[in-house]
Amino acid sequence: MQKQLYRFLFFCCVAAFFIVLPFVTPTHSLATEMLIFAIFALGYDIVFGYTGLLSFGHAIFFGIGAYATGIVLVRLVPSLFLALVIGTALSLLVSYVVAFLSIRKKGIYFVMITFAFCQMFYFIGFKWTSLTGGDSGFHDVPRTSLGPIDLNSEITLYFFILAIFLVSVLLAFRIVNSPFGRVLKALKENEDRARSVGYNTRAFKTVAFMISAFFANLAGGLYAIHSNFVPMDTLSINTSADVVIMALLGGIGTLYGPVMGAMLIVLLKNLLSNWIGNWPLILGAIFIVSVLSMRQGIFPVIFGKLKEKLCVQKRGRSTGAR
Amino acid sequence: MEVQFIGAQLFNGLMLGSFYVLLSLGLSIIFGMLGVVNFAHGALYMLGAYAAYAVCYVCSQNFWLALIIAPLAVGVIGMIAEWTLIKRLYSVPHFYNLLLTFGLMLFIEEGIRAIFTPIGKPFDTPPALVGSVDLGFMLFPRYRIFIILVTAACALGIWLFLSKTKIGAIIRAGTDDSEMVSALGIDISKIFTLVFGIGAALAGLAGVLAAPVQNVTPEMGNSILNETFVVVIIGGMGSILGSILGGLIIGELITLGVVFWPPVANTLIFVFMAIILLVRPRGFFGRAKFFE
Amino acid sequence: MRKIFVALAVFFLTTAAASGADPVRVGFISVLSGPLAPIGQSELNATKMAVEDAGAVLGQKAELYSKDHQYNPGLANERAKELYEKDKADMIVGCSNSAAALAVSDQSARHQRIFMSTSAGTTDLIGKNRYTFKLNYNDYMLAATLGAWGAKNLGKRWYTITSDYAWGHDLLKHFTSALKAEGGQHVGNDMVPVNTSDYSPYILKAAQAKPDVLVLLNVGKDAANSTKAAVEYGLKKNVKIMHALLFELDIKGTGLQTFAGDYTAAPWNWVVNQPGTKEWADRYYKAYGDRPTFMAAAAYSATRQYLEAVKRAGSTDTDKVIKALEGSTYRDFFVNPGYIRPEDHLEVAKAYLLRVKEPAQLKEKEDYFEVVGELPADKAQPPVGLFKTLK
Repeated sequence: MQKQLYRFLFFCCVAAFFIVLPFVTPTHSLATEMLIFAIFALGYDIVFGYTGLLSFGHAIFFGIGAYATGIVLVRLVPSLFLALVIGTALSLLVSYVVAFLSIRKKGIYFVMITFAFCQMFYFIGFKWTSLTGGDSGFHDVPRTSLGPIDLNSEITLYFFILAIFLVSVLLAFRIVNSPFGRVLKALKENEDRARSVGYNTRAFKTVAFMISAFFANLAGGLYAIHSNFVPMDTLSINTSADVVIMALLGGIGTLYGPVMGAMLIVLLKNLLSNWIGNWPLILGAIFIVSVLSMRQGIFPVIFGKLKEKLCVQKRGRSTGAR
Repeated sequence: MEVQFIGAQLFNGLMLGSFYVLLSLGLSIIFGMLGVVNFAHGALYMLGAYAAYAVCYVCSQNFWLALIIAPLAVGVIGMIAEWTLIKRLYSVPHFYNLLLTFGLMLFIEEGIRAIFTPIGKPFDTPPALVGSVDLGFMLFPRYRIFIILVTAACALGIWLFLSKTKIGAIIRAGTDDSEMVSALGIDISKIFTLVFGIGAALAGLAGVLAAPVQNVTPEMGNSILNETFVVVIIGGMGSILGSILGGLIIGELITLGVVFWPPVANTLIFVFMAIILLVRPRGFFGRAKFFE
Repeated sequence: MRKIFVALAVFFLTTAAASGADPVRVGFISVLSGPLAPIGQSELNATKMAVEDAGAVLGQKAELYSKDHQYNPGLANERAKELYEKDKADMIVGCSNSAAALAVSDQSARHQRIFMSTSAGTTDLIGKNRYTFKLNYNDYMLAATLGAWGAKNLGKRWYTITSDYAWGHDLLKHFTSALKAEGGQHVGNDMVPVNTSDYSPYILKAAQAKPDVLVLLNVGKDAANSTKAAVEYGLKKNVKIMHALLFELDIKGTGLQTFAGDYTAAPWNWVVNQPGTKEWADRYYKAYGDRPTFMAAAAYSATRQYLEAVKRAGSTDTDKVIKALEGSTYRDFFVNPGYIRPEDHLEVAKAYLLRVKEPAQLKEKEDYFEVVGELPADKAQPPVGLFKTLK
C-alpha cells in the first residue's frame, strides 16, 4: 500500500517537473533542446549501457535525421511525418552498414572505426554543399503544422516533443525489459558465454545498434524543426562525444541516467557559457572526476545514497557506494 | 612537372612524416604497452610547444635549451598523469581510459587557453637554423632538415633502447603479456609509468619542433591528432616499425596527394584508413590479438 | 559586468514603469570565448561605448544585453531566441561566423525584429529578409577590392591559396571575376582544408607557377601558417602577398616579421584618414588598452546608426525603424558615408587597401598597418541584384 503511494507521488513529481520545466528555463526553447538530447541519449544507452558498445559515431544518425528532415521539409513536401520516416529509413540503412563493418571487431577497435566513420560522414556533409549547405548550415527549416496544432509557438513545440519523448521512454523501457533486452545484458556481461548458449551475438549487437540509431535519428529530426536550421556540428565528432558524456555522466545502463545526464549537460552548457568563458575546462574536469570515481554515473550514485538515507526497501540488487 | 619540383615535394613529405613518426611512436607504445588510446596526445604535443615558448621567454630565446627541457617537462607531466589518474583504470574496461584521456584533452586545452590567452604565441626559427641549404636541385629550409635529422635520431634511439637495453626488453615483453611479466616479479606498474612518460616526451618533442613552423595555439594539437590516429592504425597499433614507416608513408601520401590530386588530398588518408580497418585491422605491422 | 547591466535594467525598468515607457534594448551576440574571443570582446567593448555615447534614446538610455555564442551556430540560434524572447531585445548586432549569422537572420525574421549583421561575411546575408541589414565587410567586397586594386597596382600573374569551405569558395569566385575584369591572369589555385598545419606543399606549388602576387584566401591560423611557410621557402622575396582578412590579432600571435609587407583589404582601420577615426581609436585605446579592429568599429557604428534611426522613427516599432534605415545615409568615423540600399539592406561604403609595416616603421603599439589605396563604394560593393533582393 505504502509502496503504491510512493510510486504515485513519484510519478506526480516527475510529471510536474516536465510540465513546469519550459517555464523555469531561461527560454522555452532550451527545455525543448533538453528533451531532444534526452531522446538521443536514451537510445544511446541501449547500445552503450545495455550492449556495451562504445560508439563514437552516433552523430552520423543524429545528423542524418536533422538533414533529412530539413531537406525534405524545404525541398520535397512539408510533412514532418514523412520527413522523419525518410530520415529513419536512411539511418537504419546506414546503421546497418556501419554495424556490419564494425561489429565484428572488438573493443577499442570498434570505437576507432565508428570514430572514422563519423569523420567520413562529416566530410561528406561538408563537401556536398548543394545538398547540405556545407558549413554555412542548412537554413529556413519550417515548422509545419500538425493538423490544427501550430508548432511555431515554442510552448506548443515543447509539449509536442514531450509527447514524443514519453513514447520514446516507454519504447526504450519495453525494449530493455524484453527477452531481447535480457540477451543484450547477457552478452554485455560475457559475450562468449552468450554465444556458447546459442545466441547470434553479432545479430543482437547489430539490432541494438540500429535501434539506437533510430532514436538518434528521431532526435536529429526534432532538432531540425526546433532550431529551424541544421548546422554542420550535428554530424561532428563533438556531437558524438557529447552523447557519450551525457550517457556516462548520467549513468549508463539505467535509461533514466542518460536522460537526466543529457538534460543536465544541455542546461549547464547553455547557462554556464553565459557566465564562464572556460566552460570546457569545467566539462573536462567533471568528465575526469566522473570517469575516475563515479563510473556508475552521477544520478545512480545520488539516488543510491538517497535510498540509503531514506531506508526504503532495496530490491535484491545492491546499489550502495563502492 | 619537373623532377626538381617533385623532389622538393618528396623532401617536404619527409618533414611532415617526421612529425607523424614522433607522434605515432608515442601513441603506439602507449597503446601497445598500456592498452590506452591516448586522446590527450595532441594536447601533449601542444604542451611541448608551449613549454618551449615558456623556456624561450624565460631564458632569452634559447631554443636549444627548450629542445631539451620541454620534452622532459611534458614527459614528467605525462608520468604524473599516468600515476595519479590513468593507473586507476587498468582494471576496468579499456574504454574508460579512453574517455579519461578525452577529458584530459579538454581540460589541458582549455587550461592553456586560460593561462596563455586564446591568441597564439609567436615563435621564431632559431637564428642558427634560419635560411636554406642549397641542395643543388632546390633550396630547402635548414630548419626543416633539422627536423628530419632530429626525428631520425630519435627513432633510432628508441629502437636501440627497446632492443638493446634491459628495460627495453621488459617493455617489449610487457607489450606482449604484461601479466606474465609481473608474475616474474618485475614491478610492471613503474614500467607503465615510464612508457607513458616516454610517449608523452615524444609528443612534446614534436611540439617543440613544430613551434617555429606552425602557429603556437591551444588548438594546434587537434587536427594533427586525427592524422596521427590514421598513421597508427595503418602502421599497426603497438608496432615501432609500423609507426615509423606509417608516419613517413602518410607524410608522403598527403604531400603527393596535394601535388597530383588536390581535391581529395586530405581525404585520401581517411579512405586508406577505412580500407585498412576493414581489410587488415591490425595494420601492416600490428599484432593480431588486440583486434581479432 | 552583467551585474551592472542587470542592476541598470532593474533601475530603468522601475523608472520606465513610472514613466510608462520601455528603454530601447540592444542585443549583442558574438564570440566571447575560445580562440577568437579577443575579436568578439572588442566588438562588445565598442557596442558598450556606442550605447553610452548615444545617450538618451526616446527619453532613456538604451540597455545592452550581450551573449556569447562561442563561434557555434547552434548556440547562436539559441542566443538569438533568448535575446528576442526573454530579454525582449529590439535588435541584435554583431554575430561572427557566417552560419551563425544566417541562423540569427532567420530568427530575426521569425520574431520580426531587426538584425544588424556586422561580423559575418557571407553574401547570403545580403537581401536575405527585410529584418536583416548587412553592414561592415562582406566577402564580395573583400575579394573585389583585392582583385580590382591588386590587378592595377601589384602585378599581372596571380596565384591563390583558398581555404576549402564555403567562405573560401565564395571569396575565390568573386576574386577571380574581379581579377579578370581588370585584365589580371589567374595562374593557379589550391584548395586547402581548414586548419592545415603544413602549407609547404602548396607554397612550393605556388612558387613553381611564378606568380607576381600570392593571394591567401584564408584567415587566422591558416593565414599564419601559410605566410610562415612562404617566408621560410623564400617566396616572399619575389612575390607579394595579399590576405583576404588580416587582423592585428593575427600579427600579434605570429610576429610582425612574418607579415611585414603583406597587403590586405578592409573597410576601415584605426589609421585611416577619416574624420573622427583618430579620436575614437584613442578613446577606445584609453578605455581598453589596445587598438580597435574594424569589427569593433563596425559594431559601434551599427549600434549608433540603429539608435539614431529609432530617434528618427520616434519608436522602436520594427517597421518604422526599417523605414528609417532604408535609403538613409550615415556618416561617422567608420563609414563616411555609408548608404543603406533599400533593395537589399546592404550598407555600401568604400574599402581600403592596407599594407603591413616593416618592424622598423613601427611608431607606436599596434601600429601595424598603413593605408596604400582605396576603392570607391561603387567598385568595391556588389551591384544591386547580384545577390538576393527584397522583392
